[in-house]
Amino acid sequence: MTPAIQTEDLAFSHLGSGLPALAEVALLTPEGAAIALLGPSGAGKTTLLTLLDGRLRGWHGRATVLGSALDPDRAPPLARRADTGFIFQEFALVERSTVLRNVLNGRLARMEFFRALLARPSPNDVTIARTALEDCGIADLAERRVDSLSGGQRQRVAIARCLAQEPRLILADEPVSNLDPVRAAEILSLLTRAARKRGATTVFSSHQPELARRFAERVIGMRNGRIVFDMATEDLSEDATVQLYQDAENPLSPLLQVVQ
Amino acid sequence: MKRARNVGGFAASALIAGAVLWSLVTTDVELSRLLSAAPRIADFLGRMFPPDPTVMSEIVRGSAETLRIAIVGTLGAVILSVPLGILASDTMAPPAVYRLVRTLLALIRAIPLILVAMLMVGAVGLGPLPGIIAVAFHATGMLAKFYSEAIDNVERAPIAALESAGAGPILRLRHAIWPQMAPVIARDTIFRFELNLRESLVLGIVGAGGIGFYIQTYVRSFQYDKAASVTIAVIIMVIAIEAVNVALRRRFT
Ligand SMILES: Nc1ncnc2c1ncn2[C@@H]1O[C@H](COP(=O)(O)OP(=O)(O)OP(=O)(O)O)[C@@H](O)[C@H]1O
Ligand SMILES: [Mg+2]
Repeated sequence: MTPAIQTEDLAFSHLGSGLPALAEVALLTPEGAAIALLGPSGAGKTTLLTLLDGRLRGWHGRATVLGSALDPDRAPPLARRADTGFIFQEFALVERSTVLRNVLNGRLARMEFFRALLARPSPNDVTIARTALEDCGIADLAERRVDSLSGGQRQRVAIARCLAQEPRLILADEPVSNLDPVRAAEILSLLTRAARKRGATTVFSSHQPELARRFAERVIGMRNGRIVFDMATEDLSEDATVQLYQDAENPLSPLLQVVQ
Repeated sequence: MKRARNVGGFAASALIAGAVLWSLVTTDVELSRLLSAAPRIADFLGRMFPPDPTVMSEIVRGSAETLRIAIVGTLGAVILSVPLGILASDTMAPPAVYRLVRTLLALIRAIPLILVAMLMVGAVGLGPLPGIIAVAFHATGMLAKFYSEAIDNVERAPIAALESAGAGPILRLRHAIWPQMAPVIARDTIFRFELNLRESLVLGIVGAGGIGFYIQTYVRSFQYDKAASVTIAVIIMVIAIEAVNVALRRRFT
């Protein structure tokens, strides 16, 4: 199988922050799989996903996504960006627009330019958008405005927009972080199922190891910008996840040691 | 900190009390004059009644002119406010520019419309033209500020989301920025138009066109029954404007 993501020696520091957000990150992700990205707050999960989405500038190393190399200094061409879908932690929906409009926004790059500009999607685009809404269980919300929805409903709209985009790679940044445990499992299940149905690779970050166990074939553990493990889900031990969070070094710990 | 606030509060109270006392002492509001004013005001109101309906054509002509002043004045303010709004926005302009433009807009807002109108009458003569210029100038102070806030309040996240989905800059403007800004701009513009219409009702008093001219003319020539008709027309217009604008604004939320 060709890898969906292949990276070598990735390194990156946010402007004005001395600590590296990413260091020596190397990844190899088989196409079509669901991969979970675990790690404590500040581990660099969002930074890594943003880099893979082509929205980070000034990093070092090599990254190949869906067979094309990313340029650290330049955004990828628009056509290629459409092949990578991103689910934002805070949804990033247009609040005053309807659910259907938001989902169709995911297809703008797939439409003829003037249809996109005049907001006149083809019947095919509308069918794809409505199928995505159905897959997310919110077909009945199509005409509602997003600012009238609950957090869980917005989450589903954000996922539907990404599915309607028909990406080959889905990068999901904590797609269930603000949902209750039952809803979280439900949403991750529908996301990974819908992605599999479309043959897309999914990488989702999460703070919940149980969800990674249930919905991912591979689990990647990150800490301080480094990958500390990358293994098949069945090999993931309880110990490894406990350590990932407990031993997390943060800028506070040396201070705490001094106090003790 | 607490003590400082108490001292400040006491100083403010003393200042307000002083100002009220000073006004009462230096203005000759003698109780007797106040009492004798009452029957005179009653007499005045009596002479306004019944209102003279023969001034209908003047009312229509004056109202139409006021409406024209407000519409063209608002249009002028919109045209001025788009570039100034962009320059007053901290997400679009560098600090040196937006601070300067914001100060300028605050200064414009500080000048009352009627004062601008008087100056414009002096500059370009009597008629609706000075009224239009005055309204456009005065309204820009508020409208450009509103527009800059509409620009600054646009959420960035949906723009990044569309970019991530492969939409180019024009489509991002159309589908992520425009839906956020358009209703706000429409609402602000309607609001300012309502204010412009209300405020331009009195422009005629200083010769800057519109229905206010007739009120001034009839009061000066002691034709109180005619002045009454015009006043009633003005009240009806204000109520109508408000009703229409409440309905319009509800559409843009
Ligand atoms: N815009 C920024 N400017 C400066 N530093 C940043 C910025 N964004 C993130 N960082 C820093 O980079 C490091 C990695 O952050 P990142 O957001 O990738 O972590 P994360 O694993 O997604 O955390 P979380 O689980 O809390 O979302 C952190 O130390 C963070 O403080
Ligand atoms: Mg994050």
